Amino acid sequence: MTSIEAGALAPAPTQRKRPIGLLLVAVPVLLVLWLIIWPIISAVIQTLWLPAPDGGRTLSVSSYEFFVSDPYSRANLAITLWTTGVCAVLLLVICLPIALYLRFSNSKIAAYVQGLAIFPMFVPSIILSFAFIRVLGPNGTVDLLLNSVGLPKIKSPYLTPWGPVIGLVWDNIPLTVLILLSGLGNVSNQAIEAARDVGAGRFALLWHIILPRISNSILVAISFAVLGIFSAFTLPYVLGPAAPEMMGPFMQRTFRDLFDPTNAITQAVITFGFCIVFGLFYVRSVAKNRTP
Amino acid sequence: MKRRNFLISAAAISAGVTLMPRMTFAAEGVIDVYFTSDQNVIDFWTNVVKPKFEAANSGITLNLVDGGDGPGVAAIGDRALAALASGADPQADVFEGYDTRVNAGAIDKGLFVDFSAAGLSNYSKINPLANDIPTRLPYRGSQVLLAYDTTKLDPANVPKTWADLVAWIKANPGQFIYNRPNKGGSGGNFVRRAIFEANGNDPKKFTVDNFTPEFAEEALTPAWAMLNDLAPSLFESGAYTSGNTQSLQLLGQSAVTMIPAWSDQALSAIQQGVLPETTGLVQLQDLGLPGGFTYIAVLSNGANKDAALKLADFLLTEEIQSAILTELGGFPGVSWDYVAADLRERFADIIPESIPTFPGGKWETAINDGWYRAVAPNVDPAS
Repeated sequence: MTSIEAGALAPAPTQRKRPIGLLLVAVPVLLVLWLIIWPIISAVIQTLWLPAPDGGRTLSVSSYEFFVSDPYSRANLAITLWTTGVCAVLLLVICLPIALYLRFSNSKIAAYVQGLAIFPMFVPSIILSFAFIRVLGPNGTVDLLLNSVGLPKIKSPYLTPWGPVIGLVWDNIPLTVLILLSGLGNVSNQAIEAARDVGAGRFALLWHIILPRISNSILVAISFAVLGIFSAFTLPYVLGPAAPEMMGPFMQRTFRDLFDPTNAITQAVITFGFCIVFGLFYVRSVAKNRTP
Repeated sequence: MKRRNFLISAAAISAGVTLMPRMTFAAEGVIDVYFTSDQNVIDFWTNVVKPKFEAANSGITLNLVDGGDGPGVAAIGDRALAALASGADPQADVFEGYDTRVNAGAIDKGLFVDFSAAGLSNYSKINPLANDIPTRLPYRGSQVLLAYDTTKLDPANVPKTWADLVAWIKANPGQFIYNRPNKGGSGGNFVRRAIFEANGNDPKKFTVDNFTPEFAEEALTPAWAMLNDLAPSLFESGAYTSGNTQSLQLLGQSAVTMIPAWSDQALSAIQQGVLPETTGLVQLQDLGLPGGFTYIAVLSNGANKDAALKLADFLLTEEIQSAILTELGGFPGVSWDYVAADLRERFADIIPESIPTFPGGKWETAINDGWYRAVAPNVDPAS
């Protein structure tokens, strides 16, 4: 390395950094374009550009018409929306108190509670499913415990729509708690103390001080949970009823057991349409936070 | 500075390169076997077939890959078909439990080895009941039967005909469950037995080639009515498990009294303690629950085709065929004359004279779709 070369390379660091930065993001961006964006475009084209009776291909919305006019498909979409909605509400009801406790507690127990709340993240859903059948299934552990103290058996949620709900809520607790907890980091102790000094009660604190500051985190947490739950496969497949099915198992069955890719992709595009709404919520809130 | 920039760019590029698809080739002397069957069959290969074959053929090893299910391996078959057209390496040699008809045009293009012309020394031993098309080599059989809890149902009173079974299910609501027909053969063949019942109990009525939507409508509709009639008397007033294993689990947890189950899977479950020793097995006497033989296919363009054919021949030896009876709880794929004499005597009672089978192809799609639309939704979601 001569000094001349070094001198030639030295000036204008801001200009020189730009191509390196672009190069670094190029790989993930290209991967996203290739593995995500392009399949989406190609899926939409495949469902609209259908084989015609004369052998060619023609623009048609018949596969979407079939989905909308088919009560079985509509029931599957409805159960998916129902499951997602119920899960989102339950997640918020369960995770917000946990996150609040973890944020404001100074006790040693809080560390254990946090560990416990994060634990589901490390359990694969197929193992969770079979454990669920063992514990909450018919004659499972809960039934045995109830029976030992002379109580009647529970009505098992296994193979009903509540089976996937319980499994999915359990599975999504860690992510939701972590996101809410990071949002609660924005709530300063001074603000809480100031409000307390002027006589705010616990509920007023939550409603007027804490919730407005973490509304963004709640939105992000719910978006993430909804995106995951909407397209969930394993838990609804193992724990849910045979019909109506959630969109995940329905798509997979249409594709692999009925050998009907067109309708399977149509179901996927419709599912994607619902998910992108929540995706946009997330993107919007991230963008809003970035603007000064 | 220059070196650091270089390092950053090089790291980024090499990271990108490792993520790109790479060309891989099948290893020499390693036979890639893809399975559609359940874990108990793969265990049998791991513990019995693999060590025996590798000991007899030094330098050849088996790579056992769980393909999930039929469509999972069919995707590998499609890849092999594409590889055949382009002269590439399909990276697969043997498909276990496979129907060579599912890859459109594959048989005509010669993707699969024709066993009748492959010169296997044991080919003539195959049970004539099992013979299908020459690209499929039957090596084991299995049949669905009824597994029940003898502590709750006296073996003397166990139903032996379809009519008795229906009467028993209705008299004991909540004590019977079968799995969704596309999620495992035990429920699938229970549903097919209902289709036989609704069509005069004549398995010859259905062939791969005689499928028409009209005939399917005519043949399947009464079967759906029959199954719908059973639904309120099933477990949870019409719940269906999502697989063979889940049904076994419910029987093991004593949540139900009777389930349809694969003979081999039920026997392994009893041996392993998944099902208690008090589990009884029974077959219907008017017409058995369907079952069938399991076939292997060998790819003609696989890198280890000759070794794979050696393996195919090895599967038909008395050693492996006897082990299928004793270790797997299945039926041999060869005629009973070619298993050890003591085993022939021991299993005399279960030697089937015929195993009713139901054709696949378009029938399978029609049954899967029809059952989900006509039978499954009768569950009240609120119940």
